[in-house]
Amino acid sequence: MILEMKNISKSFGPVQALKDVSFDVQHGEIHGLLGENGAGKTTLMNVLAGTFPPDSGTILIDGAEVVGMTPRKANEKKIRFIHQELNLCNDLTVFQNMFLGEEYSKDFWKIDRKRELKHAQEVLDSMNSGISAAYLVADLDTAQKQMVEIARALLFSSELIIMDEPTTALNNREIEKLFTIMETLKKEGVSFIYISHKMPELFRICDRYTVLRDGDFIQSGFFRDINEHQATELLVGKRFVQAHIKEGLPSSITDKVVLRAKNLQGKTFKNVSFDLHAGEIVIFTGLQGSGTDELATSLFGASSLSGGTVETSSGLLDMRDIKHVMKSGIGMIPRNRKERGILPDLSIRNNNSLAYLVSKHKAFFVSSKEEKARFEKSRIRMDIKVSNDLNPITSLSGGNQQKVILSRWLEIDADVYIMDNPTQGIDVGAKFAIYKLVVELASQGKAVLFFTSEYPEIHQLADRCFVLYKGEVTSELIRDEISEVAIMEYSTGTHREAHK
Amino acid sequence: MKGLTMKNFQGKEAWRTMTTNYSHWLSFILLLVVAIIVSPSFLSWNNITNQFVQGAIVGICAMGMSLIISAGMIDLSVGSSVALISGFGVTILNSTHSITLTLLFCLGAGMLLGLINGLLVTKGRIAPFIVTLATMSAWRSVINQMGQGGPFTVDKTMYAPFRALAAGRFLGIPHLMIFLIVISFLTAMLMSKTKFGTYVYAVGSNQQAARLSGINVDRVKTLIFTYAGMLYGLAAFLLASRLTSIQAASAGSGYEMDAIAAVAIGGTSMDGGKGKILGTFLGVLMLRIINTVLIMANVPPFLNGLVTGVIIIVAVLAQSTKKNK
Repeated sequence: MILEMKNISKSFGPVQALKDVSFDVQHGEIHGLLGENGAGKTTLMNVLAGTFPPDSGTILIDGAEVVGMTPRKANEKKIRFIHQELNLCNDLTVFQNMFLGEEYSKDFWKIDRKRELKHAQEVLDSMNSGISAAYLVADLDTAQKQMVEIARALLFSSELIIMDEPTTALNNREIEKLFTIMETLKKEGVSFIYISHKMPELFRICDRYTVLRDGDFIQSGFFRDINEHQATELLVGKRFVQAHIKEGLPSSITDKVVLRAKNLQGKTFKNVSFDLHAGEIVIFTGLQGSGTDELATSLFGASSLSGGTVETSSGLLDMRDIKHVMKSGIGMIPRNRKERGILPDLSIRNNNSLAYLVSKHKAFFVSSKEEKARFEKSRIRMDIKVSNDLNPITSLSGGNQQKVILSRWLEIDADVYIMDNPTQGIDVGAKFAIYKLVVELASQGKAVLFFTSEYPEIHQLADRCFVLYKGEVTSELIRDEISEVAIMEYSTGTHREAHK
Repeated sequence: MKGLTMKNFQGKEAWRTMTTNYSHWLSFILLLVVAIIVSPSFLSWNNITNQFVQGAIVGICAMGMSLIISAGMIDLSVGSSVALISGFGVTILNSTHSITLTLLFCLGAGMLLGLINGLLVTKGRIAPFIVTLATMSAWRSVINQMGQGGPFTVDKTMYAPFRALAAGRFLGIPHLMIFLIVISFLTAMLMSKTKFGTYVYAVGSNQQAARLSGINVDRVKTLIFTYAGMLYGLAAFLLASRLTSIQAASAGSGYEMDAIAAVAIGGTSMDGGKGKILGTFLGVLMLRIINTVLIMANVPPFLNGLVTGVIIIVAVLAQSTKKNK
């Protein structure tokens, strides 16, 4: 299929989300769509998938204009949109999900389950997914769910698949698997539009790129003609150039131990022990399923430990009581902002105050003046872009929401900050702001436990890095020993025996 | 140019926020205008106070319901709790001849019943709908057994002073009206000015995130039910005072529905997370106004429920479409 979108404009009220944007996708091409949050990528894709019509502009498929695109029409034209939030019903089986709304029928009124099951399994097998079509979706992990979404697109032999940040919840091995599948399909003539914030992935898998910024078309071209640095500049304009944040700064690590974890054990990890020093940034990393997720929440008392102790200067902590952990000087920025971070109905101001109210506020009444001042301080510190702090937090962009969540925890002035994948799904500018904050916190003598699976972050921030594999620490690397290869090897278990 | 569009945007935004946030005022004023057209004497002091008196007891319950719904829960046991407490309350009054003790009993019993609901929801991990469905049935049964079909009637000796509590006036203002206004005001303060209020909305908005912010979600839920129970206790006390005779089988019946309706037309989302106490207060009055207008307009009494139902749907529909846009 050859897709052309010409001079597309779209406004939401007075906000112009797309201004005269044109781009095209060739047969059997993987086309990377780049832009910060709010640049118009998703709007453009929604126009293509018929979610809403453009104000002006045309869509051509194989040279013929398509008028009045609707989601159904897009499906008929063999276009599939895989959204960032997966649209699967957990309580249905894999094949039921794949055929949802487009069931095979027999005898006029019955669903032909046999045929559906067979066809679904064929597609899943052709992808080498290892998923049984009869499984309940609830029993799959995120990577497998992603595979099911792709399988669903293939089921109806789609020729153009749109993927909106498909790798956010995937680990490196799963990403590699996804790419292998994409490459196989590409050879068969399937085209992809690939939306992502992750540069290495874009350069790895995509042929051409199109960059949008603030609803404007900026540039198209081949990835082979540019490097990551240039791409980043196109993305954000000239205002931000990637730099090594820690370079040139004196080390802030001290000898003072602020947190001592001994023999921690949970459902998915065991024997985790470490000392954390004031002014130190310690990274925990590992593939999905390595135990890092649960370790992060356990250190905050949010999931239960089955063994081991956590100690701060105030003594052993009662790890069953989050409030006690907070009051002992530990704060946690949780992963998955939407599910665990924001309170969508509450104002920006209240979202900002919550942790302070829980752990520091003594009086019965809360003064709105104080809260306003508190937010104002956060706003300036974190450079949060906001028109009115009484609006719901959902009115902010992802990056700004995350800044509010960070501010929430800065307010309690903790000694130790656990940050669990804090840069998930936010744009480069906001990411950079968070890295700067982490380094700033360390230089103030705070300790940061940073959980991430993205190598660039480890490289930017780590004083020390623990790698987990199957629930156990396989390696403790100091800054000079950290390399992408080493981390990959330890987290895939390659070096496991050597370490022992 | 950009500045100009931005300004327009904010203007529109402000208008949208206003219509969403103050929709309960819009519907209230609309209803009031209708009422005045139907009956120009609607605004007489006598009628206004009457509306408050009629709405006060359910209204106090609705304040508790407001918290419960804001936290994403529901309570079906309101009417049965009120019946149980007021029946026992009359018995206590007759045996102790102390109004103070009776009041304390009612408040305490209400808190206890609320605590039971709360603990079953939090420790038992049972859905609030099911828990309160069960307690609704249970409390009604207990009071029926106690009453054995007969009413709980206040003794002659206590009749006059006890009845004066609900029927009396202070500076020409009925006590019930004062009770409703004071309780509404206190609840509004609780919800808007204290951290507890913020926690209630936080729990209703995103339980997981609330927990990870250090909020003890179970405790907040239990406290909400306990507070609501205390208000039901007060409502039961006032009901006993107003009627002086409590029919075990019928006292308080339908209160939960009226309370939920008041909360809903007051603009509180059934999904939790948002809600306005002032909205519930206006919701209580709106239910009364609808009722009065129907009587004045000579709508056949059997059709009252139909009209009320339609108005509730229209009011909630109007609010939800605004939210979606």
